[in-house]
Amino acid sequence: MKALGIISFENNNCYVSGITDTRPINSVSFLGRYRIIDFMISNFTNSGISNIDVFIKSKPRSVIQHINRTNYNINSKKGNILILYGEQEITNKIYNTDIASYNANMQFIEEANVPYVVIGPSHFIYTIDYNKVLETHRANNNDITLIYHNSENAKEEFIGCDTIEFGKNQRVKNIVDNHGKYKNRAISLESYIMSKSLFIDLCKKANEVSSIFWFKDIIKDSLDELNVYGYQHKGFCACINSINAYYNASMELRNYENAKTLFNKKWPIHTMTNDSCPTLYKNEGSAVGSIIGNGCIIEGQVINSIIGRNVVVKKGAIVKNSIILPSALINKNCYLENVIVDRYAVVTHVKQLKGSKENPIYVKRGDRI
Amino acid sequence: MKTNKMIAMILAGGRGSRLYDLTKNIAKPAVHFGGKYRIIDFPLSNCANSDISTVGILVQYESILLNSYASRDHHWGLDIKGGGVYVLPPREKDATGLGVYRGTADAITQNIDFLDQEDADYVLILSGDHIYKMNYDKMLKEHIKNNADATIAVFEVPMDEASRFGIMNVDDNDQIIEFEEKPKNPKSNLASMGIYIFSYKTLKKYLKEDEKNNNSDHDFGKDIIPAYLNNGLKLMAYRFEGYWKDVGTIDSLWEANMDLLSDNNKLDLFDNEWKIYTEDIVSLPQFISDDAKVKKSYITQGCVVFGNVTSSVLFTDVEVKQDATVKDSVIMNGSIVEENAVVERCIVAENVTIPRNFKIIAKENEGILLVTQKLINERLGNKK
Repeated sequence: MKALGIISFENNNCYVSGITDTRPINSVSFLGRYRIIDFMISNFTNSGISNIDVFIKSKPRSVIQHINRTNYNINSKKGNILILYGEQEITNKIYNTDIASYNANMQFIEEANVPYVVIGPSHFIYTIDYNKVLETHRANNNDITLIYHNSENAKEEFIGCDTIEFGKNQRVKNIVDNHGKYKNRAISLESYIMSKSLFIDLCKKANEVSSIFWFKDIIKDSLDELNVYGYQHKGFCACINSINAYYNASMELRNYENAKTLFNKKWPIHTMTNDSCPTLYKNEGSAVGSIIGNGCIIEGQVINSIIGRNVVVKKGAIVKNSIILPSALINKNCYLENVIVDRYAVVTHVKQLKGSKENPIYVKRGDRI
Repeated sequence: MKTNKMIAMILAGGRGSRLYDLTKNIAKPAVHFGGKYRIIDFPLSNCANSDISTVGILVQYESILLNSYASRDHHWGLDIKGGGVYVLPPREKDATGLGVYRGTADAITQNIDFLDQEDADYVLILSGDHIYKMNYDKMLKEHIKNNADATIAVFEVPMDEASRFGIMNVDDNDQIIEFEEKPKNPKSNLASMGIYIFSYKTLKKYLKEDEKNNNSDHDFGKDIIPAYLNNGLKLMAYRFEGYWKDVGTIDSLWEANMDLLSDNNKLDLFDNEWKIYTEDIVSLPQFISDDAKVKKSYITQGCVVFGNVTSSVLFTDVEVKQDATVKDSVIMNGSIVEENAVVERCIVAENVTIPRNFKIIAKENEGILLVTQKLINERLGNKK
């Protein structure tokens, strides 16, 4: 596919409390094995996009450690994956928009010898074949094709995302915030296909209109002049813009039938290998209703949880409805319910941690409690 | 940095005929082990962890899969400039024409040009079908310290089993004075592990002589080591302690997998300081469903468990469906145990489907059963 893939970043309303203090949302561990960003980059590489610019809002360290060509099956000579961010100091974070970052790195976008640009946000989790989107885009002579997802539960999910109002033939008439007022809404997945020249024009135009414009704002602003049409995505979809969204998406995917609408053998989700050995369930260890990464030692009980790579759950410990990020340790006889334990944290002194589904307790990266 | 003082040569041409259908189309070193590995991952990872940069792999039997697998040297971090993994099949030569490797020593003799080109000082001979973790660099340091011509890794076996091995008889300084292949009345219990370090110059001379000898089997154990001993060269034993297993039979392959479940398992695959590397597998994490019962098992990514798994090892992408039971078994990559089926004391080969309600059990007093699709089809046919 002759296109430049742009991995865009989340707007300032997205905040996954605690977890994003040390890293951008997109490099948070997901399902015990992945980083959130793996899904969108894999969509690109599986669609045959081998020239990818990853834009990072701030704290690039964890992304830089994670991303390289080999991990994502990108050709080592003809392919390229760049990590880009605004290098100038930004005094107020409201100016740290995707547009500002695109304009600061315009040279790399202009250099790419491709007719199209595909934009995919790094904090959304879904699988899509962009070849099919491009086919529709060309066939209908669209200026911009926008990917959307019909939610039947928009009162509770995709809060803070944009909803689409359609006119005739799926033409996008208006884009408005989802405040959770209505049940059935078409949610914008903030992913677009357009010609490279239009993308560059829009970035420049946005800059002239407002310094705090985001790319989605300039699209909304241009709906009258441009043919913007929708392309429907089907299957599992989540926007990780809050701790609840993160928790709920993880829990939903514990169900293998749900997971099958996201994963597909022909559409591998690439990630960085860690060379962990398989997981050992010891004599008294057990697990039900859970997703478990490699390299774990399970001596206690794991119930309806997500257990990351290299996690140890000691004897007598019970982990229920919780998400344990890689390399954490849950010591003997600790009881955890509705808890998110970040990487390298150790739960040992506190014998009981009980949050609620709406308000899961968060244990910080590297903490020892 | 390239550290090419010692080149490792892995003998991976063996057929492994006692593994029956597991090695029908693939060489023994490429057989799966321990959930996510292939046997050859162990010597290759040991090389990588011992700071060896160049590894030659001598292949012969059914080597397509092994060649493509082993040549991806970045999987083991054996990919620095100047180093790498070189797959070395027999080839046509100007002087000798087309031939096969006539024995373990001949495989090396036929690649003397490779060793010359890599400018080796020492050659490490390894076997591609053993499961163990070993620091070859430590062994090399001993070899140099002892000023030995060859150093052979040995391992203490129970005296009553010694007659099954190649036994090294040593003096007080662990210098080898005698080598006996499968002796009836063993004088020591130091078994050769088939791991040799040779100083290359001397080895080259002996290999060249051996090549011309029509009475030779061109084998390290039978010919080269005895020739060294007869000529009074200095052979040292290097004692290895830890886990070491030859997985040459269905029973021993099963045992080695079961050892991973044991509380006092000495093969620590969780050790971050000595990781066993393998190919980069693109699979989901494992799914353990609401009704699943998993007990004392070793399970890897891509597995989906709805049924009961006890004391078993599940390899990549295995599915155990609702109410199925897997006990004391090894289920290899991509195999499916359908609803209500029972598998006990078996090794299920790759990509086999155990049908619904099908029961396949090897009794305690029988050997472990190797389950292939062929076997299942035969049994189904008999029922009709």
